Amino acid sequence: MDSLDLARIERRARLKYERSRVQRAVLGFAPSLVVVAVAALANKHSSATVGFGAAMFFVGVALLWYGRELRRAVLPGLAMGLLPLTLALCANHLGHACMGEHCLSLCIPACTIGGLGAGIGVSLVGLRWKQGLAFWAGAATLSLLTGAMGCSCVGYTGIAGMVLGFGLGLVPGLVRRVKGVS
Amino acid sequence: MSTIPHAELDSLLARLAEGDRAAFTGVFQLLWQPVLRLCTSMLKNEADAADAAQQALEKVLVRCSDYDRNRPALPWALAIAAWECRTIARKRTRRRELSEDAAPELGSDSENELAHRELVSAAIAALGELSTEDREVLVATFWEEAASVTGATLRKRRERALKRLRDTFKRLYGLA
Repeated sequence: MDSLDLARIERRARLKYERSRVQRAVLGFAPSLVVVAVAALANKHSSATVGFGAAMFFVGVALLWYGRELRRAVLPGLAMGLLPLTLALCANHLGHACMGEHCLSLCIPACTIGGLGAGIGVSLVGLRWKQGLAFWAGAATLSLLTGAMGCSCVGYTGIAGMVLGFGLGLVPGLVRRVKGVS
Repeated sequence: MSTIPHAELDSLLARLAEGDRAAFTGVFQLLWQPVLRLCTSMLKNEADAADAAQQALEKVLVRCSDYDRNRPALPWALAIAAWECRTIARKRTRRRELSEDAAPELGSDSENELAHRELVSAAIAALGELSTEDREVLVATFWEEAASVTGATLRKRRERALKRLRDTFKRLYGLA
């Protein structure tokens, strides 16, 4: 068997390896579609929910396919994202809190608090597992996209609230991580 | 026969299972020769062996996410290769049976060759009925460099695996 043949065999094997990783990633992340379906049914703005759900699914599959630190970010990212998602969906059904003539949608504070909790959760897992920045980035992206499915209840304001809360929860841990490394 | 750096292969395969693509070429290069040798010794036909080795190596790399890093990589990979050889041998037997129906006249040399091939196919089929662990032990027995354990432990496991192979052969073909 000459080297040219081996090079061809290796290329073929590599292609199959990547294909199998994609298949495993799609199958492995498929249960998250249940979350997307539930969120779409529970949310009034189902088109935005489906859009964020599709993005979340794509990112989750990509992280699982790539592997290494990014793969380890999938479960914590998804689990932490369920916090703002659940709070936002509950707030969406409760409606508004009115004091006198002023009413405020509960969705924005729910998203901010949920985002804060998710940010703290991701940073705690990242610190405990001693993961690199790729993990933090992957988990944060997935968490925010999962939460955004619910926080689109009041348009982009809810998402902005969640991102703000998430940042507040994440940054102290991230700073600790970066300082610990350098 | 070149020696395989077991620790290096174990570590490279574990890295590849995690998704480290930089380990791919290393795993491929370390596994190609042992897999090809195993397929050649099992199939006794260079063309079939090359095909089987290619398919077996693809299977190993496709299934590398299942690799348990606490176990040695080479017996694990060779057990997959042995299974692949068994599948190819079965297909070859089926093809031959079809062609025999078309041309039943054979000389004595061809008959001997046929009998030998059938015996090898039967042994490979019986091997395929065993558990992965037994297959790994038997592959290691006839492929010393692949042994994950040595000495008395290997002897004991080999005895048990051979007994199970004999029982399986008896069950499948009515003789031992």
